[in-house]
Amino acid sequence: MSWTAVAKKDFRDAVQSRALWSLLAVFVVLSVVLSYSYTEFPALVGGTEQATVGGLVFFTSGIVSLFVSLTAIVVCYKAIAGERELGSIKLMLALPHSRRDVFVGKLVGRTGVLSLALAVGLVVGLGLGSVLLGSFEPVPLALFLVATLLFAVVYVTIVVSISATTGSTSRATTGALGFFLLFELLWDVVPLGVVYVANGFSLPAQLPDWIFPLMQLPPSSAYVLVLNALLPDLADAAPGGAGGMGFDAFYARPELGFVVLGFWLVVSLAVGSYRFVNADL
Amino acid sequence: MPAIEIEGLTKHYGDVVAVDGLDLTVEEGEIFGFLGPNGAGKSTTIDILLDFVRPTDGSATVLGHDAQRESMAVRRQIGVLPDAYHVYDRLTGRQHMEFVVDSKDVDADIEAILERVRVLEAADRKAGGYSKGMRQRLVLAMALVGDPDLLILDEPSTGLDPNGARQMREIIQEENDRGTTVFFSSHIMEQVEAICDRVAIINRGRLVAVDSIEGLRDATETTTTLTVTVSGADDDVVATVRAREDVASASLTGDQFVVTLGPEGSKFGVLQTIDAAGATVEDFSLDESSLEDLFVEYTTPGQEVEPGELDSRAGEPGTGGPETGPATAGSSGGDR
Repeated sequence: MSWTAVAKKDFRDAVQSRALWSLLAVFVVLSVVLSYSYTEFPALVGGTEQATVGGLVFFTSGIVSLFVSLTAIVVCYKAIAGERELGSIKLMLALPHSRRDVFVGKLVGRTGVLSLALAVGLVVGLGLGSVLLGSFEPVPLALFLVATLLFAVVYVTIVVSISATTGSTSRATTGALGFFLLFELLWDVVPLGVVYVANGFSLPAQLPDWIFPLMQLPPSSAYVLVLNALLPDLADAAPGGAGGMGFDAFYARPELGFVVLGFWLVVSLAVGSYRFVNADL
Repeated sequence: MPAIEIEGLTKHYGDVVAVDGLDLTVEEGEIFGFLGPNGAGKSTTIDILLDFVRPTDGSATVLGHDAQRESMAVRRQIGVLPDAYHVYDRLTGRQHMEFVVDSKDVDADIEAILERVRVLEAADRKAGGYSKGMRQRLVLAMALVGDPDLLILDEPSTGLDPNGARQMREIIQEENDRGTTVFFSSHIMEQVEAICDRVAIINRGRLVAVDSIEGLRDATETTTTLTVTVSGADDDVVATVRAREDVASASLTGDQFVVTLGPEGSKFGVLQTIDAAGATVEDFSLDESSLEDLFVEYTTPGQEVEPGELDSRAGEPGTGGPETGPATAGSSGGDR
């Protein structure tokens, strides 16, 4: 159980990073502004005339997923690569920690830091939203928090794992930003490209069904699906909710979001720990 | 049970051979100096003992545990001052110590240890603001937590002023008096000379000598280097001089004829031989070698030292001497 010592040390260390707290400040301001504008002018941002908690949750989720992914990159890209590059990892690994303990301790410590920042931002933003809406619904808000924390864990795992594959922070930065670029910004065109190639270099009139799970591969898309699965009533009512898939298939269900998040968790854990455990430091 | 047992240890980084078939045994309770120029393979060897780096071949055992397979057991019983480490800039000295106490799961009087290494007054300041010497003391304090059976110190005097280096030696001595085995590396002979029971000298990843300080001194005090300025000398003259029984080595560069004499060597005899062989002695100088010279001699490439002479000094058959010829990649030829 020596990862607890690593996690504690790491939390103490990372929580003092200025970049983290500036990001948190931006997030708090943003979430306050968004809560305010949604509750005051629901028609501006959604289709419904009446502002609801569901609408607020789905409206906030878009910003939250951006905040979580960017903050995870800022907080975690140096988690292991940075310690290897500087040499502080020698102090840690001279102590009785296995490399797997270090890896797990880093994951837990950085998740703690990110969760703390998230919790502060969300409590402020959603608290204000609830006050402005005049209705407080603890269950959906709690489920929203759970889904968001799950998403944060997955993102931290992805970025810490990328960090664990290399001893150079510039390579870790490239890896983490590359991941963000590919999966969060450019991913929309990738499945289309696959269809284009699979269809003999032309786009079919009707997109095949299997493109749907491919579209959901980005962690943030999976996060929205998870919200749909956990909060189906709100999702149907909310303007930003994904709603129905429009076709029938065993994978055309919002629960696919859990599978995708699980996929990222397992793959990054496997790759990151394998590379780190076998590296010459 | 030896504290450290290294057998046939080899580490390649691509084409570069960092450690080349190293054999070494450190007995329990001794202060063992691991000496070599920068790039000789000292840190790589220590990194293998700590499982930072996996060997290409051979094995290393620390306190009876395999350094790779049972690294956790090893690291529970040792204290380490690594080379090229970096402290956690945002954590205080005390938080560093707390991390070690948590990690080793031991009870330790953090303040007493910090007092011993003289960083107690800075305990609650962030380590990022420490001087190099203070960081070195802090990491030494971290190594002392939990009364380890073996201290592995990689270049412990780095960054310390002469006074700090003396305090470091005192602490090493005190720990050793309490029964702790100390294994430390250095590229400076005089640091090793002062406190070590035994010394190993490595160069280009290979062991070139292992002996007690007295043993090394015996070998050096009787060695004399005679530098003769000659004219008219050729290879025949060199061969004639080299054939003398009391001559360990002889080499001619331009008009500089360098002759190393064995224990019973006669300087006058050598000069006479040169003269008799047909060359003219114009001038000569004598150099009684010190331990430092011995170190330089062992670790500088291109010296013509007879292998037989080195083997007897190394005290271990088959370890070989410094090779002549061009230095291979990855091994600098000494830093002095």
